Amino acid sequence: MQGIKKLYMTKYVMALAVIFAVAFEGHAQTEGALSSEEAETFLKGVNFNGMGRVYLRQTDIEGDILENDSLTPRRLTDGEFLLDLKINATPNEKTEVQSILRLRNEFGGFFGAGQSVEVRELWARGLIGEAIEYRVGDMDVEMSPFTFFMPTEEGVINQPSAFDLQRDVIYYEQFYTDDNSRRMQGANVNFGLKFSEVLRDADFKGFIARVRGTDFFTIPTRWVSGGEAKFRTRRLIDKTRSRADFGLNIVHTFDDLQSGEANSGIRNTVYSFEYNIIGYETDRMEYSLFGEMGRSELKSIDDDDNTVFAIDDVFLTVSGGAKFKEKNLFVHAGLSDVGPDFFSMGAQSKRVNFDAPKSFYNRAGADQEVRDVTLFDLSRDVAVYTYQLSDALMTYDPRFTNTFPYGPATPNRRGLNYGGEYENEKIQASINGAAMSEIRGQGTEELKDFFLVQAAVDVNVNKFLEWENSINVTVGYQYENTNRGGIDVERVDLNSNLLEAGIEIEIFDDFELLFGAKLLVAEGSDYIPRIDEFNEVRDFPGRTEIDDTETLLAGGLKYTFKEGIFLTLQYQSFDATGRSDSFRDYTLNQIFVLYTMKF
Amino acid sequence: MEMTRTNTMKNIFGMKRILSLALLLVLFAACDHETDPEGPSLFDRFAPLEVLDSLESSSTQVDFSAGETISFTAEFNKNIDWVITITGQTSGAVKRLESFDRFVEPSNATWAGGTTDLPLFRDELCMVVLSVPEEPEFGDTLMVNVLGTLNYDGVMVTDFEENPGACIELGDFEFELANSGRLDDITAAQGVFFYRLAGTDNATGGPTDNFFVGLARIFACITGETYFQVPTTVPENLYLNLFVAGRETPYTRVVLGLIIDTNDSGDFEQGQDEIRSLEFDPTYTGWRLQSFTAAEFGASQADLEKVVGIELVLISLNNLQPNPREEVGFETDFMIFTENGPLEL
Repeated sequence: MQGIKKLYMTKYVMALAVIFAVAFEGHAQTEGALSSEEAETFLKGVNFNGMGRVYLRQTDIEGDILENDSLTPRRLTDGEFLLDLKINATPNEKTEVQSILRLRNEFGGFFGAGQSVEVRELWARGLIGEAIEYRVGDMDVEMSPFTFFMPTEEGVINQPSAFDLQRDVIYYEQFYTDDNSRRMQGANVNFGLKFSEVLRDADFKGFIARVRGTDFFTIPTRWVSGGEAKFRTRRLIDKTRSRADFGLNIVHTFDDLQSGEANSGIRNTVYSFEYNIIGYETDRMEYSLFGEMGRSELKSIDDDDNTVFAIDDVFLTVSGGAKFKEKNLFVHAGLSDVGPDFFSMGAQSKRVNFDAPKSFYNRAGADQEVRDVTLFDLSRDVAVYTYQLSDALMTYDPRFTNTFPYGPATPNRRGLNYGGEYENEKIQASINGAAMSEIRGQGTEELKDFFLVQAAVDVNVNKFLEWENSINVTVGYQYENTNRGGIDVERVDLNSNLLEAGIEIEIFDDFELLFGAKLLVAEGSDYIPRIDEFNEVRDFPGRTEIDDTETLLAGGLKYTFKEGIFLTLQYQSFDATGRSDSFRDYTLNQIFVLYTMKF
Repeated sequence: MEMTRTNTMKNIFGMKRILSLALLLVLFAACDHETDPEGPSLFDRFAPLEVLDSLESSSTQVDFSAGETISFTAEFNKNIDWVITITGQTSGAVKRLESFDRFVEPSNATWAGGTTDLPLFRDELCMVVLSVPEEPEFGDTLMVNVLGTLNYDGVMVTDFEENPGACIELGDFEFELANSGRLDDITAAQGVFFYRLAGTDNATGGPTDNFFVGLARIFACITGETYFQVPTTVPENLYLNLFVAGRETPYTRVVLGLIIDTNDSGDFEQGQDEIRSLEFDPTYTGWRLQSFTAAEFGASQADLEKVVGIELVLISLNNLQPNPREEVGFETDFMIFTENGPLEL
């Protein structure tokens, strides 16, 4: 028996050993691979596609905020006409190049003012030796949630369709995709292998991209590079249908101190191991264990490569899940522990930059103070969004999220999380939640506790009514509580509720009425730290007292000419009331027309 | 054979083992974090200030010339930025002791006789005030009596307290100086007397319109020696320190020089001996310490063995002056050579 075990272990080790040496069944991966069908299309020469958009908005502001304010315009009208022309060429079967040229004219622009022509996207990709895919230029990169990952934005749980149309514009402008990828400029390669023993297949990816350029003085060029290796096994135990997916990830962000005159820079390395083990599976159910664990290192170095400052920390998540296949139900629960010094630039950089100047009504009031980012801004303003990497934890607003302001990789969190998803042809529902705690106190030994619940339901009402045209009801809800005990100055108690509701009624074929509402109620107080580089808490500006209510209502219609071509007209009303001071009492009303054509 | 492989995999990938491994990893990760609170203490930043022990001193009088020190104590309920300001009631000299701490104690609040803002302290009564910048209404006060002042390390050139006689030469060759020389009409930086060069460069009435207003030469005989006995002849390590009070207007410059007895005569001979000099800007109000290394003068090691005098030249920046021209001038006091660093106040 011992001998047989040894024999199989030897075979197993041998199989692993030849992974990198013998690509006898190498194949290119889906993304960017040129199938024979695609290749045939490409051979036809150059393809022209694109997207045209007309977006006109008129926004009014009113309310107490305008008292003694003669500077703020009461009405703003803006808009744009743009054409993104996609030129795709396949010089040969193994090479493809694409560029998107943007022609843009601002509403009201004339004689060249407000007009622009720019290259929005440019890349080339192809195959090396029928096995390795490469791409240079613009690319979307996503790895695991702790290594390279763009967390979702605040203020959105299950947004009604009425708000989705403006969000789609933001997503398109900021290169956001339906997953959590981040737009980068650089190069990547990937390839895959298939195996006949134990392992089913393996995928390998690597990339390098420039995060920023040098100013030739104190700011050095910053690069990010990374790679992942993902493996899928065959059935390990036939009776239980056990199998496992596992992967290794590494991301390294570094400053090139040979660029410019900079004499200090950073090195941020994050590596992780992720796994998804199907422990037991039948035709009716499936039990799994999944998660990720890893470590980050952050160093500040001088131009002699001496380490000036260094921190490191670890993280771990482990969850168990059960899928009930016949009921389309998946439930999961797990533990999460992300160290306070865990630093991952690629995974902790947020979509919303709360410090960015807004593109309209950035300042208002008699003293022209900067207006806070609200639900209204989050729903329509491209300017508060970014896809860039930040080298310090970005500002967040605890009214929208306090538990995971930086997504799953939020540092200094430990606790439980859970969730469930259910789906049938009439209803899609999900619930997610977490009960977390800080690991390290901020300004005190006392730790904050966070309690979070998020729920989302989509109901296809027409299925219940057996009506041919669609009627969809959408509801999203988030409740969050942040609490800390201790003496008076340490105590924190903040509650926030975010409710989204909407209905989408198809009156005639392709003609829909859209109604949506978002409501944010936040009350309590919290300390929001000022964070320096290396995520060091520099100071607390003071207790932030919050007593806010934001209401955003939307109503309009949408006509879809054909897939990818639609026209929508909407009216939105936003109201910010019940604040602790009168500065923030105001109403914004918006009417907009959006015509989009993808061709 | 298939059964054997399955059993093997069972052993390797059995759920019990996976769960055990996961648990171990959780425990491992949970133990390995730095958990000291980050950022400034919220209690320190935002709790109301309370004084648990009021300001006290270790003594009511102190003789710094005998090497004595005096320390202060007090206690707050939290760490906070506090300042002890000691003000000489006669001289107006100020010494500040500052810290961010809950305790005012000898380790952070001991006064050895030094000065933060010139002039230097005299034998005088001093007021000691404990204050907290964040709490402007708070203040705690006591008085201490200084019986003897601090002796500063270094080789004194002169503090102008004694009449120098011919050892200081005042050059007023164009008759532009006014109210200049050894005087006591304002508070000296140290003691009672100081030396002033002040006047108005005459654009039209003088022999020349040459920026030059006047000069003073202090010869080594003021110390009773032929040459100044500097504490080191290493130019980078030798510092010449002097207290200088300037003028707020931007027209005054001072050219400070070391007179080198180039011809080894033991005296200064115009045109034969060389002067290593530099220029500095005294356009400020009040007394300040000016310190320069001999290297900044351009003096060599050999030069420093034959420093026969120190020259101060008063310059008016005529190209900036309005018409009629404004007075330029400065006062100087307590000239002293130190080694390896500027004079420590």
